[in-house]
Amino acid sequence: MKKVKVSSIYLILVFVLLYAPIFYLIFFSFNQGGDMNQFTGFTWEHYATLFADQRMIQIVLNTLLLALLSSLVATLVGTFGALGIAARKQKRLRSTFLTLNNVLMVSPDVIIGASFLILFTSLGISLGFGSVLISHIAFSIPIVVLLVLPKVNELDPALLNAAQDLGATRWQTFSRVIVPFITPGIFSGFFMAFTYSLDDFAVTFFVTGNGFATLAVEIYSRARQGISLEINALSAVMFVFALVLVVGYYFIDQYSRTRRQKRKNHQKAGVMIP
Amino acid sequence: MKKVFSLALGILAVCGILWFGVYHLSQSQGPVTTKNTLNLYNWGDYIDPQLITKFEKQTGYHVQYETFDSNEAMFTKIKQGGTPYDLAVPSDYMIEKMRKANLLLPIDRKKLTNFKYLSADFLNKSFDPKNRYSIPYFWGTLGIIYNDQQVKASEVQHWNDLWNPKWKGQLMLVDSARDIMGLTLISQGHSVNTTNLAEMEAAQRKLDQLSGNVKAIVADEIKLYMIQNEAPIAVTWSGEASEMLAANSHLHYVVPSEGSNLWFDNMVIPKTAKNKKAAYAFMNFMLEPENAAKNAEYVGYATPNEAAVKLLPAAVRNDKQFYPANSTIDKLEVYQDLGQTKVEQYNDLFLKFKMFRQ
Repeated sequence: MKKVKVSSIYLILVFVLLYAPIFYLIFFSFNQGGDMNQFTGFTWEHYATLFADQRMIQIVLNTLLLALLSSLVATLVGTFGALGIAARKQKRLRSTFLTLNNVLMVSPDVIIGASFLILFTSLGISLGFGSVLISHIAFSIPIVVLLVLPKVNELDPALLNAAQDLGATRWQTFSRVIVPFITPGIFSGFFMAFTYSLDDFAVTFFVTGNGFATLAVEIYSRARQGISLEINALSAVMFVFALVLVVGYYFIDQYSRTRRQKRKNHQKAGVMIP
Repeated sequence: MKKVFSLALGILAVCGILWFGVYHLSQSQGPVTTKNTLNLYNWGDYIDPQLITKFEKQTGYHVQYETFDSNEAMFTKIKQGGTPYDLAVPSDYMIEKMRKANLLLPIDRKKLTNFKYLSADFLNKSFDPKNRYSIPYFWGTLGIIYNDQQVKASEVQHWNDLWNPKWKGQLMLVDSARDIMGLTLISQGHSVNTTNLAEMEAAQRKLDQLSGNVKAIVADEIKLYMIQNEAPIAVTWSGEASEMLAANSHLHYVVPSEGSNLWFDNMVIPKTAKNKKAAYAFMNFMLEPENAAKNAEYVGYATPNEAAVKLLPAAVRNDKQFYPANSTIDKLEVYQDLGQTKVEQYNDLFLKFKMFRQ
């Protein structure tokens, strides 16, 4: 009994530690004082400034759009990349590919960003949404590969053999055996790529241009002036938004799961659901 | 497969909605072409957003406002091209560097009808003689900030006051070789731009004497520490100081009358400019006294615009902390680019001071 108590206290402590900074930030977004030193009074002012700031809202939308799109494409490419690497028969070749992949993971963002800038300008590609999208996809792919690959390696070859024995075509094996098995890897790859894209500053800074900016670039460049509480307000809005998404997803998932369960039970009982 | 597929579709749908939102927002600002767009490259939050709206309404130009976080980063972006920046706002030493790298276009004074409002005190500095390439945007100084709860005003009026044994372990310095070496050189009656090694070494020996008083050599954190009464005295720039003063009423800023550094952020037209007409329109707009005054109130830095200063509230205008007396301004010096070897010598001497142990 005592053991349970200690572990739950530990758990609570960890979550408090994780969430305290965010709540601290949100708390000060209501501060009348204009800075994060002392709470002088309650105000909605910073939220009003935020929603009146069209440029800021455009930047937020751009950032989200960019993160979603780049991580989606990177997940697609990265998943096939992982499958391709795993399919190599020679061990030597496999580890070579994996190492090449890891080199990209560990090379500093600044260097990647600068080389992209040089590449884009020498090719005459104008900087903006497109250039940032391409570079985000590029630096997200290695992450996806790294997260999907273990799942692919776990895949039992016997499963594939069994599927083919039972007459599955290549496409059927892929879509009904391989993909469902590696789905957790794909999901974690996607979310990792998404967060990487959201908070990348170094690469993005070099390849932004023509009025396109992301949140990270904008917030960093405000640092010299001191970051205003408008950013706190924005963090609060994004936090609540993410919370709503996660909770919403949980309930939808629960709902469809219980429905599926019901349907199964009914089918067992020989009743069809229209 | 179905799960993955439906998630992908969902993401694409969200992307579509987001794209619609972005499109809608950018449409509301009118169609964008090179001809009616001004690409402005500035520090983050370094202009009153209302002024941009006003400029757009007044002239019909559309402003694409992009921001950078350091002079060096801006230099790289402009050097590489890729975006046709029409106007940028670098600091003094960077203007010199860009000028030498042929990244700037000369400014045609005839098109700059509002140039007359600028105070002669802030023109024709060594980083850009005769202001051929740059127009002052904001300026500031290096000075002493102190907390009146522990320090009397009369005790810190000059650089030499920092050496007072009374401040043992109480002083905070900005981590910047040119600034700290510079204030020591001034206290010895030398120029901040000296290249005389003997003078520089003498300054370092004098600095060593200061190390007993130093509590910390820090960067941006000074702001927070001073506001939270962590230290009674610090050396910092006027821009930072104005924010500290706003947050803690016990703090005061002094520009020593024997001289100090004078720094600038100036508007320049980079070589990448495609719409020079818009750039001139914007410079004229920002030099308009009414607009310059509004911007100065928003940003909190000192404006070089003489006519604008007159429009500022008396409390700001007469504040000797940020608009020092003319006799002091005359003694302020801008940093010159001393070349690689001299800069390294400055850095080495500063490093020696940082490592000094009594």
